Parts: sequence; C-alpha cells; structure tokens
Amino acid sequence: MNTDLHTLSGAFALDALSSEEAAQFRTHLEECAVCRQEVRELRAAAAQMGAVEAIAPPESLKARVLATADRTPQKPPKVSPLSQARGRRWAPRLAAAAAAVVVAGAGAFGIAQIAGDGGTTLQAGVVQVFESDDAHTAEVDTSHGAVRVATSPERGEMAVDTSGLHTLDQGHVYQLWSIVDGTPTSVGVLDDPGKGASMAMPEPGTQVAITVEPAGGSDRPTTDPIVEVDPASV
Amino acid sequence: MSGEPGLRLVSSYDGADVEVLIGRVARGDAQAFERLYDELSSAVYGLARRVVRDPARAEDVTQDVFLEVWRKAARFDATLGKAKTWVMTIAHRRAVDAVRRNEAAKRSDGHGAPDEVTHDEPVERVIEAEERGAVRDCLDTLTELQLESVRLAYFNGYTYNEVATLLEKPLPTIKTRMRDGLIRLRDCLEGAR
Repeated sequence: MNTDLHTLSGAFALDALSSEEAAQFRTHLEECAVCRQEVRELRAAAAQMGAVEAIAPPESLKARVLATADRTPQKPPKVSPLSQARGRRWAPRLAAAAAAVVVAGAGAFGIAQIAGDGGTTLQAGVVQVFESDDAHTAEVDTSHGAVRVATSPERGEMAVDTSGLHTLDQGHVYQLWSIVDGTPTSVGVLDDPGKGASMAMPEPGTQVAITVEPAGGSDRPTTDPIVEVDPASV
Repeated sequence: MSGEPGLRLVSSYDGADVEVLIGRVARGDAQAFERLYDELSSAVYGLARRVVRDPARAEDVTQDVFLEVWRKAARFDATLGKAKTWVMTIAHRRAVDAVRRNEAAKRSDGHGAPDEVTHDEPVERVIEAEERGAVRDCLDTLTELQLESVRLAYFNGYTYNEVATLLEKPLPTIKTRMRDGLIRLRDCLEGAR
C-alpha cells in the first residue's frame, strides 16, 4: 500500500489529487520522511516550471495588496502545535504508547493516528485542521466528556479532538465510524484519544459517530454512539 | 545586470534576497513585504494567469497568495526549501482551487464543458531568458506522455484522474508519468545549475 501511495508524490506535488486523496497522502507524509523530501524537491521543480510563465501584474494590484496586508494581522510562529490552538486550553496528556495505525472498513477515508510530539498531545494533523483559517468548529458534550469537531473546506479535512473523553478501562476502546444511509463503516479505533484523529472530509450525507467498543474494536457498532455529528453542519 | 553575457547572476541574487525578505516580513516589516512583492509578483501572477486564464481572477489569486505569505511568513521554514518555492506552491494551490471552484459552480449552473484552452496573448515576460531557457531545455528531456501529464495537471489544474481520462490512459500510468516527469525535470535542473 505504501509503494502505491508513494507513487502519488508527483500528482500531489502538482496539486492533481482530489481533496480526499490529498488528505490521505498528507497523512502518509507524516509517517514518511523520504516522501516528504521527495515532495519538497518535486515542488521545487514544479515551481521553476511555473516561474517560466512570469508576467508583470497590473500596477494597480500592488497598492491593493499592500493596503490589504496593512490591515491584516500576521500569524505568530509555530512554537509547538498546541501553542496555537484556539479556544480552550488543551489538557496535557500523559505520555502514552505510540498509537498503532488501525484502519478498518472500506477505506472510504484514512484516519491519521501517529505518534506526535512525544505522544503527549493532539497530533499535528488535527491541530492543523482546528487552526485553519476557514475552520468551522463545534463542541459536543457527551456522556464520556467533550468532543470537539473541526472541518476545513479549504483543506478538505475534518478533525476530531477526543482529548476531552474519559479514559476507558483496558477492556474498552473508542471507535470512530462513518455512517451512510444508516450503515456504519469503521474508520478506526482511537488507540489514544489524546491524539485526536483527522480524515478527509466525508462525502455529503455522511455522519460521523463514536462508540465505546470492546478492546480491538468491532466490525459493527455494539453500543449506541456517544456522539454523532453531521460534518456539513459543523 | 552587468558582467559578461551568460554570467548566471540572477538565481543567486534571487535566492538570497528572497530568503532574507521573508524573514523580515515575518517580523512585520512592510517595506520588506513590498520588496518581496516586487521580486515575486510576476512569477505568481504569471502562473495564476496561466492556470485561471481570466486576468481579473488572476489578480484576485495573486492578492490572496501575497496575503497568505504576509500572514504566514513566520511559519515559513527555511530548512524545508526555498522561499520562492514556498510562495509558488501557495500560488499554484490557490490558482487550482480557483479553477476547480469555478468548474464546480459552472456545473451546478448547468453550464457544461470546461473552457477551451486559449492561446496566450502576447504579454511582457519578465523572467530572465536564461533561467527560462534552462527549464524549457529540461522539459524537452521528458517523454511526450510525461510532459503532457505534468503540463495538463500543473497548468490546467486537472486532477490526475481527469488527465488520465483526457489522454485515455490508465490511472496508474498517468500517476507514474507525473512522478517520473517531475523527477526528470528536477534532476535536469539540478544538473543545469
């Protein structure tokens, strides 16, 4: 699967993937340093190709751009992914074992579950969605604690911050589902809810839900969802 | 541009300067931002024109690109690549988004087919001829299918799926040609330095 994904680096560097594929590929990039380097180099080549087309813009544009910048605040540098998170303070998590990647079901979209900065915080991919300029966010109180959801049309991604969920006993896990026409498909088991999860924006009409399942996850939900969200309504 | 003809002053000047400017822009230096605009606006606008075609929309894309650069300059990481690549990557992404949004809007309006590809009007090309020449020479080293795949994706904003349909080739073929084509371009440009 990785070899197959890897060959998408060219199409990715050319912005020639659908938003869903691009989000999947970005997830892959988080795990693949070689791929990141290749994408950087291919983008540099593409950029040189693009620069060949240079045309001086109309003079009037310059004043417009400078004036708009003048009244636009700048983003601070990234110190650590969490330092920029909007809204409430993020509860620090104790270091947990690196989460295994668990992707089950039809593979309608991939779930990013990788060890981030020391395994103590929400993973970068999740924070990026919450931080996007066009992010829509919602907070839902569940029987197991708060879940925050963010969608970014620009990135074509959705993220859930599950760090507010209660810790379950060893025999149980949180599992994420996509539901189309009442049929749930497993997106993956949240091995470490403290990291959250990000995924390509589901197709319209898809609901996203979280259930509590026996350790290892289930093929079908065995309990009622603690939360069910229509990403389009976030 | 003094010195002997053929002396490659442009890219080194370009490189160093733009990196420094980005650093100053990150600290809110409006003058540096203006100079950065002078350095890169032709490359950004030219690419936007090529992708979105419509001059007014290309201006909007260019404005959005520079605002993003202004806002996110502090997030630019020089260890991950050149500033110009960063800016051109933003420019391409935004130009392609604009084209795809437009296509989606047209489809929902019931206007069908994408615009015919028109020929460029004669316009002032401001990039140094030499750099342009190197890229063109390197593009000539690509196979026809590699070149077609890369160009249709990059300059027309097509997805690789759309390119495969257009060229009547299997998806894996197009995907591979795009990667191989860019790798060949990268290697050739590195050799030309």
